[in-house]
Amino acid sequence: MFKLIAVAKREFKAAAANKTFVIMTILGPFFIFAVTVLPTLLTNNPSVMGSSKPLAVYAADPALGDYLSGALEAQGMTFLKATDAQVAKDLVLAGDYAGYVEVPASWPDEEARYFTKTGTEATVYGSIGAMLGSYATQERIREAGLSQEQAQRLLSKPEFRVIKLGANQSEETKTQDDFLGILLTALTFVMLIYMTVLLYGQMIGRSVVQEKTNKTVEIMLSSLSSRDLMFGKIAGLGLAGLVQYAVWVGMGVLMVTVVGPAFNLSLPAAVSVANFLWLVLFFILAFFLYAAGYAALGAAAEDEHHLGQLAWPLILFLIIPMVLISTMVMNPGSPLVMALSFFPLTSPIVMLVRLLVSAPAWWELALCIGLLVLTVYGIAAFGAKIFRVGILMTGKRPKLGEIVRWLRVR
Amino acid sequence: MEGRPAGHFVIADKEHSVIDLQNVVKAFDSVKAVDGVSFAAKPGEIFGLIGPNGAGKTTTIRMIMNILAPDSGSIMLDGKMLTESDKARIGYLPEERGLYKKMKVGDMLAFLAEIKGADKAKSSARADEWLKRFDIYEWKGRKIEELSKGMAQKVQFIGTVAHDPDIMLFDEPFSGLDPVSQDLLLDALLELKRAGKTVLFSTHIMDHAERICERIFLMNHGKEVASGSLAEVKARFGSDAARIEYDGDASFVASLPYVSATREFPRWMEVELKGEDAADRLYRDLAGRLRMRRFELLEPSLHSIFIRLVGGDTAEAGQREALHV
Repeated sequence: MFKLIAVAKREFKAAAANKTFVIMTILGPFFIFAVTVLPTLLTNNPSVMGSSKPLAVYAADPALGDYLSGALEAQGMTFLKATDAQVAKDLVLAGDYAGYVEVPASWPDEEARYFTKTGTEATVYGSIGAMLGSYATQERIREAGLSQEQAQRLLSKPEFRVIKLGANQSEETKTQDDFLGILLTALTFVMLIYMTVLLYGQMIGRSVVQEKTNKTVEIMLSSLSSRDLMFGKIAGLGLAGLVQYAVWVGMGVLMVTVVGPAFNLSLPAAVSVANFLWLVLFFILAFFLYAAGYAALGAAAEDEHHLGQLAWPLILFLIIPMVLISTMVMNPGSPLVMALSFFPLTSPIVMLVRLLVSAPAWWELALCIGLLVLTVYGIAAFGAKIFRVGILMTGKRPKLGEIVRWLRVR
Repeated sequence: MEGRPAGHFVIADKEHSVIDLQNVVKAFDSVKAVDGVSFAAKPGEIFGLIGPNGAGKTTTIRMIMNILAPDSGSIMLDGKMLTESDKARIGYLPEERGLYKKMKVGDMLAFLAEIKGADKAKSSARADEWLKRFDIYEWKGRKIEELSKGMAQKVQFIGTVAHDPDIMLFDEPFSGLDPVSQDLLLDALLELKRAGKTVLFSTHIMDHAERICERIFLMNHGKEVASGSLAEVKARFGSDAARIEYDGDASFVASLPYVSATREFPRWMEVELKGEDAADRLYRDLAGRLRMRRFELLEPSLHSIFIRLVGGDTAEAGQREALHV
């Protein structure tokens, strides 16, 4: 055991006494800061996201022109009245205008048009379309000769509220902002796990390969077992990862408990101390899973280049939840998401997202963690064997009898 | 924690073998790297594993260290199979040298002793002593990557012995060292022997083996060629030889009945002899026919035995006549 600890100590020093580690540890909290504060800022000031470029507007009907001016202003958008359609289009192409709105005299019988260089600013043309729509509706009601009261009654929307049911019969009203908050929190947490697991996994893989390329492996194996060497490496680098998480989560918790209340920031509901603790738990599980896998691949690889080639299936399983993140947030109960939240290679990330969005049953969490622990154990044991056989391999496949002999010696 | 049994060998017990190999075989695919090797190293002796490149020395040593598993045969340390706890008693200098490049020399040595479970203060003091002795103490705080190859080699040697093991295995310990350092290392090995350590080392430089080994195992193509004490091997495989410096035509010497081989150089010649009184007869025969400036009897060297026994592979040997022992 003391040998394992000695290896872990050495690996920890090698990983932590290094500039990248310090920079990552310091920059991490800014990442947390971004997720906790940015969504609030964004929902409060949509113009932060919007384009600062003005819109060019041409409306043949001056009344409509005034209406649009007022409505755009209310949304915080700047605009200019256009007089010449060709000049306005040229300026849009030149990038001086965000877009050009053209409403002909025969509108609404003839279509209104929005000219854009990109076609991707959906929120902008979406709201312009809505403005024109509501103007047209009002005009038609007026033409039909309905009274003000009748018109209002026709136009008023019935109330609709979204309520989230929690444990203990709790009910909570949800809005679009909450969805955004959860999505961004989930994205950040997933990014954190993805980045750190990948980073530390690769560090372990490289560390193992370097035992071969540095030719230190023989001298190490003359002092300790391959098992001590592998688990020592995983423990040392895992500790370095935990130190980093401790700093980050500490900052996050500080944000939630002290900074948030002090500056009266409304933090996304998903950013809570409990969720930070789940983050750490699933990082640890994901870390050990991928660490053992990478250690085994490192042992099987000839050099770092080869390791990169061998590792892509592992990385693929890390990427799947990344790609599905918005699906997971919107449909946490879909069979696919459920399945991925139990499948060990994806479950740390997927279950974490489910925890942020919904409240999985305790048995689901227990099953997920139980399966993960079992898989970690299995991959570690299997990895240790590949490690034992592969660590000394130089372009030669070991025979079965040889492996059996090796396994006999502890 | 595994304790480190120190110095419990009875050196007087010459029957006891510290390292004992019986009929060990190891094949890589179809090539038999080690083919039926048996030898035993006794407590407190320097044992030389000798052979040309590719003879199977490194494979043999790796099997002793349980880094490779033999296909068949047995390898015993102190009469039993190597266990994990035995590793603390062994110092091993692999042929493939390697240290963690980013570590400082002192930290590296401390780490190597730590994973052997050695006493920290004692092993550190021993490491310091060796560093001073090899004249690299001032490099203790520098990183391994800053060292020259020879210096790194010395650090590696110190890492092998600083935890004070009683069995030491050195695979080609002299390679990469300058002659002064080679002598330092030879002295160091003799000192380790005097301290009661069992030392096994491999080399293809016969001079080194001749200077410090008590017993040798000479192998080629994975098989034993000769083994025993140095004196035994010399008596059995060595032949008398003479070196003569002369003026005149000495071509007739090669055809003399008691001469087994000659090697001619511009001003002198080495003559290998066979049979009783061959030296006397040669001296008499030469006296009348050549103007001799010098006639010297040579002791059979391990080098010549090595060349004779395994030299058949080399191009140089191919040009010579076949030798019969």
